[in-house]
Amino acid sequence: MARFRELNVTGVRKTTRDAVVVTLAPADGVTEFKQGQYLTFRREFGGEEVRRSYSICTGRTEGIIQVGIKRVEGGVFSSWANENLETGMTLEAMGPAGSFHAPIDPARAAHYLGFAGGSGITPVLSIIKTVLAEEPLSRFTLTYGNRTMGSIMFREELEDLKNLHMRRLNIIHVLESEAQDIELFSGRIDEAKCRSLFERWIDIEGTDTAFICGPEPMMLAVATSLAARGLPEERIKYELFTTSEPGRALRPAPAAASIEVSAGLTRATVTLDGASRSFEMERRVTLLDAALDNAIDAPFACRAGVCSTCRCRVLDGEVEMSSNHALEDHEVAQGYVLACQSIPITDRVVVDFDH
Amino acid sequence: MSGEMTISEYLARGGRLTSPANAPQRYRAELMKIMATFVDSELAGAAGFAEVINAGPGTRERITAARIVLEKTASAEKVLLLMGEFGANVGKYAVHHPWADRLPRGTAPGSRRSRHDMRLSVLNYPLEGWTDAVVMNLCMGCGVCVHLEELSAISYQPLAEAIREILPVERRHAELAENGISRLLDSDEATAVRSSLAYWRPRVSAMFGDVGEERLTRLRNWGLRRRNGSAMRRRWKERLDGALRRIGPPADSTGL
Repeated sequence: MARFRELNVTGVRKTTRDAVVVTLAPADGVTEFKQGQYLTFRREFGGEEVRRSYSICTGRTEGIIQVGIKRVEGGVFSSWANENLETGMTLEAMGPAGSFHAPIDPARAAHYLGFAGGSGITPVLSIIKTVLAEEPLSRFTLTYGNRTMGSIMFREELEDLKNLHMRRLNIIHVLESEAQDIELFSGRIDEAKCRSLFERWIDIEGTDTAFICGPEPMMLAVATSLAARGLPEERIKYELFTTSEPGRALRPAPAAASIEVSAGLTRATVTLDGASRSFEMERRVTLLDAALDNAIDAPFACRAGVCSTCRCRVLDGEVEMSSNHALEDHEVAQGYVLACQSIPITDRVVVDFDH
Repeated sequence: MSGEMTISEYLARGGRLTSPANAPQRYRAELMKIMATFVDSELAGAAGFAEVINAGPGTRERITAARIVLEKTASAEKVLLLMGEFGANVGKYAVHHPWADRLPRGTAPGSRRSRHDMRLSVLNYPLEGWTDAVVMNLCMGCGVCVHLEELSAISYQPLAEAIREILPVERRHAELAENGISRLLDSDEATAVRSSLAYWRPRVSAMFGDVGEERLTRLRNWGLRRRNGSAMRRRWKERLDGALRRIGPPADSTGL
C-alpha cells in the first residue's frame, strides 16, 4: 500500500513564466533519493483526490529536495501549484520512486548523454548535478529541446553549471520557434536532427549511458537514432513525460432504463477492449467469473483481492467487495472495484475494464 | 517540445513506458498478468525445489539447490515490487496461496493453468526425487530463458530492466542443471534421467501455448509480446537439444 508522508514547502520560485521550482523539507527529515527519481503528490480538488508525479531536480548530495512543476493546460495540480503554492504550506507525497538512473562510481570516467524536452529536464538536471559532483572524471552532454529561449526551464542554473564545469558539461539548446546562429540548433529533436547531431557534434561510440526524458515523439526519435548508431538497449534509460492522461475521460454511464430482471439476477453490462456485452448473472457470482463465463476475456491473476489485475470501474449500479487488499480508498471512491471480489447487489450494473 | 501522439501510437512504434502513471488501463491489466505469471512461476518453482533440497546426494548439491530456491525467490520479489507500484499488495502476495501445491504426477501434459494462480502450467506437476528435479530444472530452465529473452525487450521499461538482471541468474540455473545431469550420468542414473526427460519434455513443451491472433496482435502493438508460442517452443527445443548434445544423453531421450 502507498505510504504518503508530509513535506513542508520551504520555497517556491518561478523558473519560467509557467513553471515553478518548489523546495521541500520532509517532516521526517529523510531527504534520501536517487538522482532522476520522482515524487507522487496527492491533493483533493473539488472532493476528488488527484495524484501527480513530479521529478526531483536537485543532485543527491545537495541535501535538499526540489521539484519542478510546469503548468499543463487544464492540469488541475500543476495550475494550482503555479498559482497558489506558497512557502509554509504542507504537501503530501509518496516516493521517491523510479529507475531513471545509473549507478554512480567516483572512479569512473564516463561520457553520459542527456536528451530532454521541455519539463523533461527536471530528472535530467538531477542526474547532471549528481554526476558532476560525484564522478569527477565523467562528462555529460545535454541536448535540450524547447520552443523558445524564454521557455527554457533552469536556463540560468544550467549556464552556471556549464561555467563551473567547462570541460565536463556540454549543452546544446535546440529551439523550435527561434532562429539560431547555427541552423542545426533550430527545430525539433526528431530523427533527422539526431542524425545530424550524431554525425557532427555528439560521439555515440564513446557513450556509456544515454538518458531520455520528454514527450513521446522525442523519446522515440532519440531512442531510434541511438539504436541506429549502435548504442545497446541496456545503455538507454527512459523517463516518459506523457502529454496525454490515460483514462482521463470517463464516458457517462448509460441512462438507467427500466429493465426486466428475473428475481435474484442482475443485468450486467461489461465493457472490454471497446466492446460492450450484456448478460444476466446470479448475485452470488463475482463480476470476474460472470464475465469469464460469458466469454469475455476479463483480466485477472490472483483471484484473491491481492494483485489488482482485475481492477475495473463500476459506472452504474452497486457491487459489494468481499475482500480488498489492493485498492486504495481514493480508487474505491472513484468507483474502482476488484472484479474477482465483487458481487452485484442491484438489478443492473455497468462495468468498464477499459478506463 | 510539442507534437501530439497517443500512447497507443507511441507503443506501436516501439515506445517505452516508465511508470504506472503512464500506463493505460488495459495495458496495465495485460502487464500485470505477465508480471503475475512470472512471479507465480518463480514462487511455485522455488517452493517445489525447496522440497527436494534434502534429497541432494551431497552437501554440494544441497547448497546448489538451496541457492536456486533463494535466487528464484529473490527474482520473484524483484518483479513483485514492480507489481506493488501498480497497487498489488506486496506483503500479502507471497502468502496468499500455497505455492508448493501440485497436481498428481500422472496428470496428462497440457497447457491449462491452475484456476487460482498464474504459474506456467509445467509448474503444476510434482517433482519425484533428486534426479527428476535436476532434469526438470534443465528442461524448464531452457524454457524460462526463452520466456525471459522475450520479456527483456518488453515496453514497460522497469520490467525490461528487472528481467535483464534476472536473465543471467536463470541462465546459470540451467547451466547448473546441465552439470548436474552430467554427474548423474556418471553415477549410473541414465535410466532415471531418460525416464524424467520423457516425463518433462512434453510438459514443458505444452507451456508455450498460443494466444489468439487478435490478442497477439494487440499485445505486439503494445510492445508486450513479440514471438508467438510456436516460435518460442522452437527456440526452447533448440536450446534443450543443444544442452543434451553437450551432455551426451542416454539414447531415446531427444526424439520426444
